[in-house]
Amino acid sequence: MTQTRNLIDENGKRTDGRTIDQLRDVKITVGTVKNADGSAFIEFGKNKIVAAVYGPREVHPKHLQQPDRCVLRCRYHMSPFSTDTRKNPAPSRREVEISKVMRESLEPAIMLEDYPRAAIDVFVEVLQSDGGSRCAGITAASVALADAGINMRDLVAACAAGKVDEQIVLDINDVEDKEGGADMPIAYMPRLDQVTLMQLDGKLNSEQFNECLDKAISGCKMVYDIQREALMQKYFGNETEVKEEQ
Amino acid sequence: MSTSKRSTIIVEHLRKQQMMESIGKGKRIDGRNFDEQRPLEIELDIIKKANGSARVKLGDSEVIAGIKVSTGEPFEGLEDKGALIVTAEVLPTASPHVEPGPPDEEVVELARVVDRGVRESEMVDLGKLVLVPGKIVYTVFVDCSVLNADGNLFDATSYATVAAILSAKIPVLEMQDGKVTDTGKTIPMPVTCVPISITQVRIGDAVMIDPASEEEGAMDARITISTNEEGYCALQKGYTGSFTIEQIKKAAETARIKGEEVRAKMKELTKFGQKE
Amino acid sequence: MHDVKRLYVIPGDKIVEGNHRPLMNVVKSGNALIATRIGIAEAGRDGVKVIPLSGVYIPRINDLVIGKIVDHTSLSWEVDINSCFSAHLPASDVFGRDFSPARDDMGKHLAVGDMITARVLAFDRTRDPMLTLQDRDLGKIATGELLKISATRVPRLIGKRGSMIQTIEQATHTRVLIGQNGIVVVTGRDPEGINQAVKAIRMVEEEAHTANLTQRIKALLNVPDSPQEGQNDGAKPQEMAESATERTEGLEVESEK
Repeated sequence: MTQTRNLIDENGKRTDGRTIDQLRDVKITVGTVKNADGSAFIEFGKNKIVAAVYGPREVHPKHLQQPDRCVLRCRYHMSPFSTDTRKNPAPSRREVEISKVMRESLEPAIMLEDYPRAAIDVFVEVLQSDGGSRCAGITAASVALADAGINMRDLVAACAAGKVDEQIVLDINDVEDKEGGADMPIAYMPRLDQVTLMQLDGKLNSEQFNECLDKAISGCKMVYDIQREALMQKYFGNETEVKEEQ
Repeated sequence: MSTSKRSTIIVEHLRKQQMMESIGKGKRIDGRNFDEQRPLEIELDIIKKANGSARVKLGDSEVIAGIKVSTGEPFEGLEDKGALIVTAEVLPTASPHVEPGPPDEEVVELARVVDRGVRESEMVDLGKLVLVPGKIVYTVFVDCSVLNADGNLFDATSYATVAAILSAKIPVLEMQDGKVTDTGKTIPMPVTCVPISITQVRIGDAVMIDPASEEEGAMDARITISTNEEGYCALQKGYTGSFTIEQIKKAAETARIKGEEVRAKMKELTKFGQKE
Repeated sequence: MHDVKRLYVIPGDKIVEGNHRPLMNVVKSGNALIATRIGIAEAGRDGVKVIPLSGVYIPRINDLVIGKIVDHTSLSWEVDINSCFSAHLPASDVFGRDFSPARDDMGKHLAVGDMITARVLAFDRTRDPMLTLQDRDLGKIATGELLKISATRVPRLIGKRGSMIQTIEQATHTRVLIGQNGIVVVTGRDPEGINQAVKAIRMVEEEAHTANLTQRIKALLNVPDSPQEGQNDGAKPQEMAESATERTEGLEVESEK
C-alpha cells in the first residue's frame, strides 16, 4: 500500500486527533452475555465487539474429541451492519483466516490438557468495526475465557502498530488501515513475555520493523492493564486487598 | 425437509410442577401475570456506522438490528418500489444449544416471520425509495443479530427491527449523469405505521404472552400476531400442539391490546410523528 | 494460621516465589507460583492454591450431585449434571444385576425431566462420569424449589462444617439440598420460608468472596447475632478454603412420607 494523502498533520495529530503513541479509548465490560459461561464486551475506539465462551463442554460430533486435551474452537464473525458497506452474513475468507489466527493466539495461554475430551468454544462477534477488530476481538476473548474460569497461564492482550506517513504509530484506526503504509497486529502474553499472534501487511525496513514491534508490544501492555482492571472490577468490586475479619 | 426433533430445552419436572402450580393460581413461575411482558429496554443508534440501529432487551433476550442502505435492482414485479430485506441470525453466543453454521429451520422461520410483520404492514413506504423506476431503487437491509436467547426471539427481533427503522437516517441519493450520487443530506426512513408483534404460548389450558425460555420448553403451542394501527397484518402459529378457535380469537384480541401498549412506548421513544 | 498470604488474582498473576507446593489452580513457572484462574489465592505452609470464583463444575468421585434425566438407552439413563460432560446412570444400578429391558421399564422408573440426587461413582480422563443411586437418601426428588448457582460458590453456601446452610435452614424452616454441581433444591411447608431461603442463597452466591457475609445473611433472615457465634465467624477466604478442601456434603433429601 502506498499512501496517497497525508494522514498526520503538521501538529502531529492523526485523523482522529491522536498523537502517534496514543491508544484509542478502550472499555471492557465483563459478563454481558447471560447464557455464556464467560463473556466480555469491548469498545476499542469505534470497534464494538462481543466475545462469548462456552466451555469446557461436550464435543459434538463425538469423533472430534481428543483423548488427552480439549478442542479449542474459535469463530470470528462480523455482523452485516458492522462495516461501511453491508457484509453478507456468510463467512468470508477473511473471517475464516482471522478465526484461525485468533485460535492460534489463544491456545498457548489455555491449559488445554486440563480438559481432556471436552471442547472450549470462543465466539467473537463484531458489531461495529473500525480497524484493529481482530486485536480487539482477541483481547475480549481472553477476558471472556478468564470469566469462564478456564485455566490459563496468562491473559492474552492484543494491539496493532503500523506505518503512517513514514512514521511508526500505535493502534491504527480504520482510515489508517485502509490508506496507510503498513499494519502489524500483535497478540502477547504479558507475564510470560511471549508473542502468540503476529501478522504484517505492508512494507517496513529493518529499523521500522523493530520499532513497530516494540510499539505494538507497548500497546499490548496498556491493553492488559485495562483487561485486568475490568476483571478485578467485576469480581472484586473496589476491593484491592483481601480483607481479614476479626 | 423438516424433521421432528427432541426439545433442546428439557424442563426439569420440579420446575414444571412449580409452573403448573403457579398457573393454577393465575400466575407464572417468575411471578408475572399471563398478559404481562418482561421488562423491555430499547436503545437506539448503537451502531453509528449503520444507517439505523437498535438494541432490544426483552427479559434476558438480547437482539441488535442494524440497517444498511444501498442501491440495486428492484424485485421482480415490484418495479416501482424500493427493496426491503430483513434477515436474522441467532449467534452462537446466544445459547449453549446453537451450532455455528447456516441458519436452521427455526432461525429461517424467525427471520421470515419478522420480515412479514414489517412488510405486510407496509411500514416502510417503499414507493418513496425509487431512483429510476424499474432499474435503480434503494435497497434497505435490516439485519438482526441475536446475542442472548432467553425466549420470545420473535418479539425481541421484531422490536429491534421496528425501532431501527423508526430511528434510521437514510442518505438522500440522486441520479447525476446516469450515476447514483450521494447528496450528503439525510432524511428519516419514510414510515407509514408501526407494526408490533405479540407472541403467546399455550401451556395446558393457559395462554400467556412473552414466553421466557423455560416456558417455551414447556409449551404446547405458540402464536405470533402482528398488528398495526389499523388491525392485523401478519400471523404465525408455531410448534407441534394446537389451539381451539376460542383461544385464537382471545389471543388475537390480546395481541391487539398489548400491541397498542408497546406501540405507544415505541412511538414515544423514537419520537414518531413529531416534527424534527 | 495467620501467616497465610492472601491475594485477589487473575490468570497469570504471580502469587509467591520460592519452593512452595502447587495445590489447586496454580502452576509453577520458573521460580514463581502463578494463578491459573480468577479467585482468591492463598499461600500457606502446606502449599499454594487459588479458590476459584467462576468455572464449570468438573465432577469428582464421591461428589453428591443433583442431576436431570435427559435421555435413556436400554442400558442406562443419560443425566445432565450441569457439567462439561453428561453423566450416565446404569440401569443395573437401579434395577439390580439381573435386570431385563423387557421387564423393567426405564422410562416408567425415571422419566426425561426427572431430578435425582446421586453420587459420582467413577470419573477419569478417559470416560464420562458414572453415577449411582445406591445409598441412603439418593434417588428421585419428589418436590421442591429448584435453583442453580455457580458450583464455585457451593463451599461458601455450605459453610464451615455446614454452618452457613444450617443458619439458613433453621431461620427459614426449610431443608436445603445442595449438589456439588451447583444445583440446589429447597423444600419446606411455608412458601414464604422458601422464598426467604432462596433470597439468602442468592445473596451467598453473589457475595461469596466478601467479608462479613454471615452477618448480612443473618440480618436478612432476622436471626440474632449471638456473642459466641461472632467468634466462629472466621475470615471468609479461610471458610471458603477449608470447605473447598473438605468438600463437606449437601444435607439429606427430605423423605416423603
